[in-house]
This record gives sequence, C-alpha cells and structure tokens, in this order.
Amino acid sequence: MIEQRDEELSRIYRDAEGPRPPQRVDDNILAASQRVAGLVRRPAAIGFARRWGVPVAVAATVLVTSTLALMVYERQSGLDAIAPQVPRAGRPAKVSPAGPKPAVAPPAVLPPIAPAPPIPPDAMRRDEVRQRPGGSGASSGGPGPAQPAFPEVPRAPEVPRTADALRKREEAKPAPVAPAPGANIRAGAIPPQPPVPDAQRAFDVQPPIRPVQAPAAARAAGALRESATTPQSAVADAKERTPEKWLEDIRKLRLEGKMAEADRELAEFKKRYPDYRLPEDLP
Amino acid sequence: MRSEASDEDLMLRYGRGDARAFEALYLRHRLPLYRFLLRQVGNAATAEELFQDLWMRVVNSRGRYEPRAKFTSWIYAIAHNRLMDFYRADGRASFLSHEESESVLEDTPAGEIAADLRLDRKRAVERLLAALGELPDAQREAFLLQQEGELSIEEIAAATGVSRETAKSRLRYAVAKLRARLGKES
Repeated sequence: MIEQRDEELSRIYRDAEGPRPPQRVDDNILAASQRVAGLVRRPAAIGFARRWGVPVAVAATVLVTSTLALMVYERQSGLDAIAPQVPRAGRPAKVSPAGPKPAVAPPAVLPPIAPAPPIPPDAMRRDEVRQRPGGSGASSGGPGPAQPAFPEVPRAPEVPRTADALRKREEAKPAPVAPAPGANIRAGAIPPQPPVPDAQRAFDVQPPIRPVQAPAAARAAGALRESATTPQSAVADAKERTPEKWLEDIRKLRLEGKMAEADRELAEFKKRYPDYRLPEDLP
Repeated sequence: MRSEASDEDLMLRYGRGDARAFEALYLRHRLPLYRFLLRQVGNAATAEELFQDLWMRVVNSRGRYEPRAKFTSWIYAIAHNRLMDFYRADGRASFLSHEESESVLEDTPAGEIAADLRLDRKRAVERLLAALGELPDAQREAFLLQQEGELSIEEIAAATGVSRETAKSRLRYAVAKLRARLGKES
C-alpha cells in the first residue's frame, strides 16, 4: 500500500512551484562538463602532437633557416654581381658553393674570351672603379652617357686591334648602358655579348702596362688633351698612334732620310713620354 | 517522455567525450535534483553549492561510470552522500533512528486530507511544503526521492544505503505525517 505512491500527495506536491537553479549555476556546470569532454578528446591530439611535433618543428626550422640563408645569399650576390659583371680570365665569377644557381655558370654561358695575360692589380682596380660608380642594380648600373665608356689613356700598344675596335665602337655606338648584372645572372640567361663588349673585355685584359709606363701614358693622355684642337681629336690621335706606332713612324722617317722630321718627332715623343724607355736604335 | 537515449547511454557517451550527451542528461535531471537538495537543506545558497558540487562529481566520475544500476539511483546516491557530508560539517542532528521514527509513527493518526484543501490547491501546496519541512531528514529524503527521483523502495534503499525495510518505513512515516498535517489543520 505504502509502496504505491500516494497519488493525492503527489498531485499536491507537483502543484508546488518548482524552484530552479540560477542560470550561472547551469552555465558553470555545462562549461565544466564541456571542458572535461574536451580533455577526454585531447589524448588523441596529444598523441598526434607528440608524434609529429618534433619532425614538424625541425622541418619548419630547416625551411626557415634555408630560406633566410638563400635570401641573404641572393642579396649579397646581387651586390657583388655589380662589380664582376663579366668573369675574366684569372678572376672567375663569384659563384656560391652552396647556392644552386645554374644561371651563374659563366664559363658555360658566356661567349668565350680570348686568352689574355693576367690583369695587373691596378688595372683591375681601375676596372672596378669604372663599373661601380652610379650605385648598384640595373637601373643605375653601367656608365652613363656623359661618362666615357673607356679610358682615354692609350694603354695597350701590344694590342692595336683593341684600339681599333674601341674607335669603331665610339663612332658607331653611344655610350652603352651596362646591363644589370644581377638581373642577368638571376634570369639565368646572359644575352649574347655583342662585339663591343668583347672588345671591352679584350681591352680590360690587355697585358699589363709596366709600372714605369703607366704614369707616362697618363701624362701622354693629358698632353694629348691639351695640345689637340678638340678633345675628341686629341683622344683619337692618342689612340691612333700608340708609342710603339709613333716610334715606328720615327724609324720610317729616318729610313726615308727625313732626319729633321724624325728628330722633331722623337723630341715630341720624349716630351710626351719622358719616362718611356726608347729602343736602342732610337737614341 | 524520456526520448531516444536512456540516462545510462547518455552518461556513457559523455564518458567518451560527448558533451552534448551530458547536456541532455543535465537538462533532464537538473530541476528534480535541485528541488530535492533545496528542500532538504532549506537554503538556496547551500542548495546551489551542493547542486553544483553534485554535478561536478558526476562530471568527474564520467570515466568510472558503469551502468550497473539506474542512473537516477546512482546520481541520487551521490546527492545523498553529499548531503551527509553537509550535515556532518554543519553539525546538524542527523536522521532520526528507525526506532524514533516508529515511535513518532505510533503517535500519528492516519488521516484524510481535509476537504477544503482538496479544493484549495494553493493552500494545500503551502501546507504540504510546510509539513515537509517539519519531517525528519531521513523521512523527508525518502519522500523526496520518491517524488523527485521517482525511485522505488529498493532504489531509495540503495541510494541512501539502508535496508529496503528501513527505506520503506521512512517513506511510510513521511506519507502518514504529511497526510495527518494536511487533514489536521484544515
């Protein structure tokens, strides 16, 4: 009897307005249950993290490090490439041993350069100074139009071909704008070098001017500039008649019996090249 | 209207990390459990604290839960234990002994609910709740477990850790006293 619910009492009890737990209590309990449920699922995530965490971290580190190294290398090589625009004999192009840069393989890509004697240090320096002014990069690289592309000093008596090429080039073509070296290297394709740059290279790799001759040549160039009616003709004259050629002309004059003229030329020569060692036959 | 999943299923699912299962379980039992605790301790703040603590125990027991008994028996057993802790900490004179209950029962005449209370439901509810508050803790608990938890005598016995006979007596005394109060003061 008593085991059965007292329905009358139960009805009255159910009529009682049921108090409710506050909302914050509900929120607390549900939030806690969800937190714990998240923890229940977490072991799988933890296992995944434990398994892959270290390899992923190592891979990410390697990736970031190599990317940074590559960026630094490229930036540095881009700056360096301004000076050694064209690799020359005795001075190979700067290629990073680590960087996989197929474009930077000068011997394979560039046109062959005529074998030349080693460049004296001062000539190399001069060459670099000539290429560096104006900053770096494709936009500012290379000599400007106002700047002479080649030195006015007659430097290579042994290579007259170079002087001829230079003259032709000056006549035929305005001062060239050097291509951006970095851009060429990065693009992986160095455009075929026209004859003019070839001549430029040949000019750069002339046999060394003897230290005694170098200042004399510089002075001769200055004298040429002063004596000439126009600077352009003086330059042309100086380039046309190298000391060797000049001496050859003097010899011819002597052989032709024009001794006075030969002596005058010789005196002029001595004036222009006071330090030049005259051959035995031209005292 | 228990829907699809049983309480036990929901608890097992929650043990596997299904937070929605717990939510369903909570919504199903929050009101009866809260009323049970509130009417046992008679103080809303304490009831809230006990209620929250009870559900946190459920949450923390998720991995150990085994459906060996009804979920309601299990959760009301937790509520009972929590109440015992509270009574002990509160220094509250605990449940009347069975003998005392018997003596009380001897003095309580079985009665009918007054006719006027049958008509005035609001007054009847007030009377009942007042009478419920005057019951000994054990008897009130038995009555509330039956009303709120819908537990059987056996389940009440299991939840409160007493014999079936004791649970039965407590419930009987509670009902008798409530009816007597509702009939006497009408």
